[in-house]
Amino acid sequence: MKLNTPLVTLLAGLVLGVGVLVTSAVWGSGSSSAATPAGNPYAATSSAPAATTAAPAQSSPATAPTTAAPTSPAPATAATTAPAQATAATTAPAQATAPAAASSGTNAYPPKADYVGKVNGGGAAVAISVHGTKAVAYLCNGGAVASWLRGSVSAGKLNLTGKNGARLSLDYRKSDATGFLMTDGTKYTFSAPLVHRVPSLHRQPGLYEATATVHGVMIKAGWIVLQDGSQIGSVEYDPGSAFPPTAQAPVLDLSTGTAQYDGVTLVASLISGLSGSGF
Amino acid sequence: MTAQTDAPSAAPDPVSTGIGKLIVPSLIGGLVALTLGIYGRLHSPTGVVVNIAGFSSAGYVKSWLATVATVFAIVQVISALVMYGKIPRVTAPSWIGTLHRWSGRIAFLVAVPVAVNCLYALGFQTYSTRVLIHSILGCAFFGAFSIKMLILPKRGVPGWALPVAGALVFTVLVALWFTSAFWFFSTFGVHR
Repeated sequence: MKLNTPLVTLLAGLVLGVGVLVTSAVWGSGSSSAATPAGNPYAATSSAPAATTAAPAQSSPATAPTTAAPTSPAPATAATTAPAQATAATTAPAQATAPAAASSGTNAYPPKADYVGKVNGGGAAVAISVHGTKAVAYLCNGGAVASWLRGSVSAGKLNLTGKNGARLSLDYRKSDATGFLMTDGTKYTFSAPLVHRVPSLHRQPGLYEATATVHGVMIKAGWIVLQDGSQIGSVEYDPGSAFPPTAQAPVLDLSTGTAQYDGVTLVASLISGLSGSGF
Repeated sequence: MTAQTDAPSAAPDPVSTGIGKLIVPSLIGGLVALTLGIYGRLHSPTGVVVNIAGFSSAGYVKSWLATVATVFAIVQVISALVMYGKIPRVTAPSWIGTLHRWSGRIAFLVAVPVAVNCLYALGFQTYSTRVLIHSILGCAFFGAFSIKMLILPKRGVPGWALPVAGALVFTVLVALWFTSAFWFFSTFGVHR
């Protein structure tokens, strides 16, 4: 009988597929406990509040206390489940834009400050939060570009680094932060003004972050709320991976501080240098 | 497979029986696509992927494998056109059938790990138009390919069946490539 070679091809593909599947399952179960110790708790909880407790996949150079710090500023959850070793400032970060008393006088650069603004050309927005000796920056274009950077502060200058060679270099003053950010081979220049409190907004301009587990995969959303109340946000799918697929973030409801992503409620937390929340 | 005994006697109605021979393969192909989609939707995506040394991420592994599959698929179309004498002034060489078969096998076998990875680690997702289209076409591709493979050895199928099935498989694969690897490369850059 003549061999039915097309059928053999199909069956070979089936065998190969099952083989790859088994390999993935074995490899995954072996590595998830070792490589990503924080992975399993996320897989277990799909409720959004729990997911906002920390961002473990982010390999920041920050030390342990700071990774525990992003307690949720969600107004709905009065008692956050996270171990609140954070200061009183984190409990009311939404109304965070308290007067920067520390940066009074002729000090050229404030010790605590938040900046947001569009990059030159307007294709993306950048947010920079400086809190004492530490700083966080985020750039996104409301689409496939999202870059988180962290680092330390030195006398009015920031040199932050992020994943895949992303880097930021800027000078910041009381009025604005001016510099450039390189990510994915693109150089963005900007001059982002200092955030000012807007009384009419429930959520102040600034940098917001939310993490959650959606259908078993962790996502990390970042929004930059600009001074005029408009927002630009991107969401990274599987942010722990080397090149997370990234897309437009769902709209952040500025009255509740939440967003809906694929049926899951994301609770955004403010990353503010001024209040220290998120640091 | 199911009983596919070729009637030795002359078929009473060539057209209807020819089309009839497409029913079972089509049903099986639909079942394949449906199974993949349901698995991708119900199975909780792990996010865990096997990376291959030398590549920066699983996304690049998949993008390059998908690109290899697409290149071989282009070879498929060209070799098929030559085989059927559709390209003027080109006579089919004796090895064209072998080229067609093996380029197809390689394209298929290269695409399989990509699909497994997608379904296992990411699942059937709908969070953007690109992702939705990709999810649907990804499942449809293996259904269409199954149909093509199943009608290939059959005698007496309508003459248009194989070209249509082949064109469908090719079109879906190219669309898959554009919604995945092309998007990936244009977003994150072309490298390993």
